[in-house]
Amino acid sequence: MRAQLFRQVLLLLGLAFLPAIGQALYFRGDPAWQAPPADSGQVSLAQATSWGATALWIDARPDAEFARGHVPGAMQLNEDDWNGLLPQVLAAWSPQRKLVVYCSRKSCNASHAVAERLRHEDSLTNVYVLAGGWEEWQKNHK
Amino acid sequence: MLILAAPLRASLVWENPVVELHPPVSAETTVAHFKYKNTGDKPVKITVVRPSCGCTTAQPPAEAIAPGAGGEINATFHIGDRSGPQTKTVRVLTDAPDDQGVILTLHADVPKVLEVKPSFLFWPKTEALGPKKIEVELGGDYPVSKLDVTSTDPDVKTAVKSLPGKKGFEITVTPPAGNRPINASLKIDPHFPKEKPKLYSAYVRIDAHPTQAAAATATATAAPK
Repeated sequence: MRAQLFRQVLLLLGLAFLPAIGQALYFRGDPAWQAPPADSGQVSLAQATSWGATALWIDARPDAEFARGHVPGAMQLNEDDWNGLLPQVLAAWSPQRKLVVYCSRKSCNASHAVAERLRHEDSLTNVYVLAGGWEEWQKNHK
Repeated sequence: MLILAAPLRASLVWENPVVELHPPVSAETTVAHFKYKNTGDKPVKITVVRPSCGCTTAQPPAEAIAPGAGGEINATFHIGDRSGPQTKTVRVLTDAPDDQGVILTLHADVPKVLEVKPSFLFWPKTEALGPKKIEVELGGDYPVSKLDVTSTDPDVKTAVKSLPGKKGFEITVTPPAGNRPINASLKIDPHFPKEKPKLYSAYVRIDAHPTQAAAATATATAAPK
């Protein structure tokens, strides 16, 4: 009686695991669902700082926030006045420089949008988005 | 007894938390109207209205919303120099004790009359000062039959021709001879819309090129004696 019960439990467990095992084999090598999105254009503050004068800091926040404070030497470039601000950035750019774009941590879509336009429209390479943005900078420069 | 024991409830229901906008070509702003209604039995006050970027502005209503009453949050998106699909959000919080907040989303499809590729031309000092080309594609079925291109530096010459069989134009940019460094903007005018044409830009940077004489002198100076 006990042996029969044990066999039935094993059978049920096997049936339950069968689709899972099949799926695991079929999708082996695929990235995990929880893996962070790959963004090769992001750079940490430590790495960007290590570039020294090679880094060209680009502040993608609105005028008022830039006026309240920004990374020393940063140039402003946002989509509110793209055409007006871009020439100064391109004048300072050189192929050897690495552009580090940042905005505030909470609204960091702006830095991604600016970086994307620099890469796509102006064909610039070495364009990065600062992970953590301006808040990350402030946290490390108190 | 149960009715008496039931707590008063404040609940703001949003009719359209996602709004699609299609502003006209010449629009400088576009407004999303997010409608709400208090379906609870207690007044509710909107305490926080926080847009995701500086390009979007929205204000909370001054007064609390009475039970059964409704209204709307108007989020104004300032288009600026943006084009193509844009997504902006506004976070709204109320004074309801169990309120988790709501994210209102605005999708705006900003018309792109022209696509300028590339919009940056660069002549490093190691590259010969030959002409380069910019391709301008029409972004839609806009009646653009000619382009005017003006350079902020008169020595940078431009010529425009329409591309046969394609919806677009080609701009040939010719740098001047000489060793003067140049940073110039090209204003591209499609003459559309007629009442207020939407201008596009491209940028030219020419690093100082040593003249042949200067280069020869430099080579002679550097050569071992």
